[in-house]
Amino acid sequence: GSGDGQGPNKTSGEIIAYRNVDDIPARELKIHVDQKNEAVLLPIYGLLVPFHIATVKSVSSQQDGGHSYIRIIFNVPGAGYGPNDVPTQKFPRSIYVKEVSFRSNDTRHSYQVVQLIKTLRRQVAQRESERAERAT
Amino acid sequence: MADAAVHQFNSILLGGRGGTNPGQLKVNSGGFQWRKAGGGKVVEVSTSDIASLSWTRVPKGFQLGVKLKAGRDVKFNGFREADMASLGSFFMANMGISAEEKPLAISGRNWGDATLEGSSLAFTVGGKHAFDVSISDVSQTQMQGKNEVMLEFHVDDTTGASEKDTLMELSFHIPTTNTTYLGDEERP
Repeated sequence: GSGDGQGPNKTSGEIIAYRNVDDIPARELKIHVDQKNEAVLLPIYGLLVPFHIATVKSVSSQQDGGHSYIRIIFNVPGAGYGPNDVPTQKFPRSIYVKEVSFRSNDTRHSYQVVQLIKTLRRQVAQRESERAERAT
Repeated sequence: MADAAVHQFNSILLGGRGGTNPGQLKVNSGGFQWRKAGGGKVVEVSTSDIASLSWTRVPKGFQLGVKLKAGRDVKFNGFREADMASLGSFFMANMGISAEEKPLAISGRNWGDATLEGSSLAFTVGGKHAFDVSISDVSQTQMQGKNEVMLEFHVDDTTGASEKDTLMELSFHIPTTNTTYLGDEERP
């Protein structure tokens, strides 16, 4: 929830998925959605690399032959991060991960991952807009 | 010296593009020998070829990063904290190398710095290690517009990949204000 103090933060605030390495669920090397910490974990060269849900712009999947493909597009300044968002304001010279694409050998898993990411994105976006409304 | 001449670890995972493979690692003053469980792949690194060593705390334990003078990176996963201490002094005493600690980026941000060292492209967030990829696995690079560099990876089904999901493409947004222009360094 948003009241426990370790919650994720909107795009315009600080983005912190984990504070300790041990908080990252150590699991099988595949794409995971960590709903508690509101993060997507991506297997890149043998490591599960966390991306906070607030960095995700969109996700989609596609079937091709025996494989399915999962594409995640991230927010970057000008496309996702607006001019007043912290990344654009404070890190305009940084290099951004913009897009990743994975090939999956498990169609059900890739469908599930895409749905989970979409749901989490929607939940967090809704909570943030409610928070913003209350603040005004 | 009380420190054995050979350190042996029976379940060390070799990390790579396709995921990780379990195997046995032997460490002596001459270098590292990793042998895949059940036979097959062998990875040997001579001490004289090592540029640097690093320890990274990862969710399941510790990862040893071996950077070669030739530019390649070898990653061994599955060490415990005690191994880090005993191997650390072994490296110092027998190889004359001090292994540095390289903290992992866990904030989940998608912005940072990308640096190319040898054939390894490392992405760091807030100065901490997020991930790295090997340029030798890249089949194609493309500029998309003024600000985007796309890396396409080889399709390789022969490595016995342990991963369900395999990285195929990765693209970076590089602002025009960024002076290290990735697009040029990318092409050997």
